[in-house]
Amino acid sequence: MIGAYRALFVAGFQNASQYRVQLFLYVFFSVLRPIIFLAAWVAVAQARGGSVGTFGVADFAAYYIALTIVLHLALAWDAYEFEFLVRQGRLSPLLLRPLHPIHYAVVNNIVWKLFTIAALVPVLALTAITFGARFQGEPWHYALFVPSLVLGAAIRFLFGWIVATAAFWITRVSSVSTFFDRIQFIFSGQIAPLALLPGALQVIAYAMPFAYMFGVPVDILRGATTFEQTLLLLAGQGFWLAVCYLALQVAWSRGLRQYSGVGA
Amino acid sequence: MGEPVVEVADLMKTFRVSEREEGLGATVRSVFRRRYRDVQAVAGISFGIEPGEVVGFLGPNGAGKTTTLKMLSGLLFPTSGRATVLGHVPWRREDRFLSRIALLMGNRTQLVWDIPAADSLRVLQEIYRIGETDYRRARDELVDLLDLGPLLNKPVRNLSLGERMKVEFAAGLIHSPQVAFLDEPTIGLDVSMQARIRRFVAEYNRRTGATVLLTSHYMDDVVALCRRVLVIHHGKLLYDGALAGLAERMTPYKLIVATLHDGAAHEDLGAYGAIVAREEGRVTLRVPRENVAERTARLVGDLGDRLADLSVEDPPIEEAVDRIFSGELPVATA
Repeated sequence: MIGAYRALFVAGFQNASQYRVQLFLYVFFSVLRPIIFLAAWVAVAQARGGSVGTFGVADFAAYYIALTIVLHLALAWDAYEFEFLVRQGRLSPLLLRPLHPIHYAVVNNIVWKLFTIAALVPVLALTAITFGARFQGEPWHYALFVPSLVLGAAIRFLFGWIVATAAFWITRVSSVSTFFDRIQFIFSGQIAPLALLPGALQVIAYAMPFAYMFGVPVDILRGATTFEQTLLLLAGQGFWLAVCYLALQVAWSRGLRQYSGVGA
Repeated sequence: MGEPVVEVADLMKTFRVSEREEGLGATVRSVFRRRYRDVQAVAGISFGIEPGEVVGFLGPNGAGKTTTLKMLSGLLFPTSGRATVLGHVPWRREDRFLSRIALLMGNRTQLVWDIPAADSLRVLQEIYRIGETDYRRARDELVDLLDLGPLLNKPVRNLSLGERMKVEFAAGLIHSPQVAFLDEPTIGLDVSMQARIRRFVAEYNRRTGATVLLTSHYMDDVVALCRRVLVIHHGKLLYDGALAGLAERMTPYKLIVATLHDGAAHEDLGAYGAIVAREEGRVTLRVPRENVAERTARLVGDLGDRLADLSVEDPPIEEAVDRIFSGELPVATA
């Protein structure tokens, strides 16, 4: 398995290096949306005398910088790619090999993120300076941010694959994926920090997996959680990871029975 | 011959497909109420293949050939029936099984488009856990058989269709599978590349002893490679036996070719059989099999010295297959 991963990483880096324009555009758009939301919240805060709830301008800056990093490293787009694989018949050659197709996606995700993260750093540094971003974490926040980010990325990745397996039944899965992306947009802390959601929405957010994908690692990174809260949130992430893992096992094995090898 | 490497019993696959009539109204209705129809792609077929055999799988489009190959390679679950390949139930998709088979589909790629094929082969080496010595031996053999040398270091996207097919073969067989399912391996290739791929498959089978089940629309592929054929139509197996016996089995007539000294091709020989071809001094007659001996004797007796040569032949294999595919022949179990 290690050898397969090493070879896939080499091939993945070779492949990614072919598309520099796509790479630039990806980085540009991944930064653009959080920065727009940051600008909007800063405007709201300034109109309200400098803060919204417990968030001042510097807190919003820290939040959206952290969110950009987390989104960049934890977001996955597999459902869209999987639909393409199924519709074009490209899944079949992968299914014929003694390596689960999910491993190719793991490598592609990691390669793409490593390839683009360097371009993100100067933009985020400039944003941090411009808005005076305030990170108030203790060293343990940064230490626990790492497993939280990995867990968030894993939940998002597996969730994407569960949605993707719908392609075995309905072939066109992008509409289902877009539906979940919209829910995720509200309940994962992208449109607003989870702490600013109205009470009922906040409860719903923490009862669904989306907050544990992005919002939780962001709050840990910017130092907005106590130690006890952090452990509780990490446990929540562990729970959702287990749920997603089991759900994917069931969806995958049932999906394969349904697979009709369209176009292949 | 040892134990069969492929054993199939009553294998059946039914697809459920949605259908609607044409027109906007039907389209709107189908949004709310969809109608489904069961399509039986494979209708209970049984056969076995011995180690090292090269078997041709013939049938018109939609006959069930590819569906069968997909079930035997573990891509599709059957609706019912049994099959084992190398002792494994294919659709359990065990790694040990997948490491020992290959399914090559002429129009499907397994190479990474933007990197040289040599790098894709390295990835496959790791995925199939091929030791360095075995990998080099298999790669060198494929490079030799397919004349791949200059192609391996070009990005796949820069290869022509024929070149890409050769590299696809190398990628598909780099793990030295014991059973290879080849689905239309020469589709879209020019005549010379088709011949090259045919030579490769024959030589690969000879060198490695791999068992091959091959589908093709090109009879030349089948004639060149397969002594045994399976004929499938509407999901049912019509024939399983020697290629040489296919015409005998599937066409109820033979051809009598009479060559005349005096160029009397103009003479009416219609009384002896249906004239299917007439060229200078040579007449080809179609005669029911049961009448061949009697008609031949009559021809010899009636024409006497004017007859320069007389031969009795089976119709071309293409004709037999065409009759099957066009539905002229009733279903007959092999």
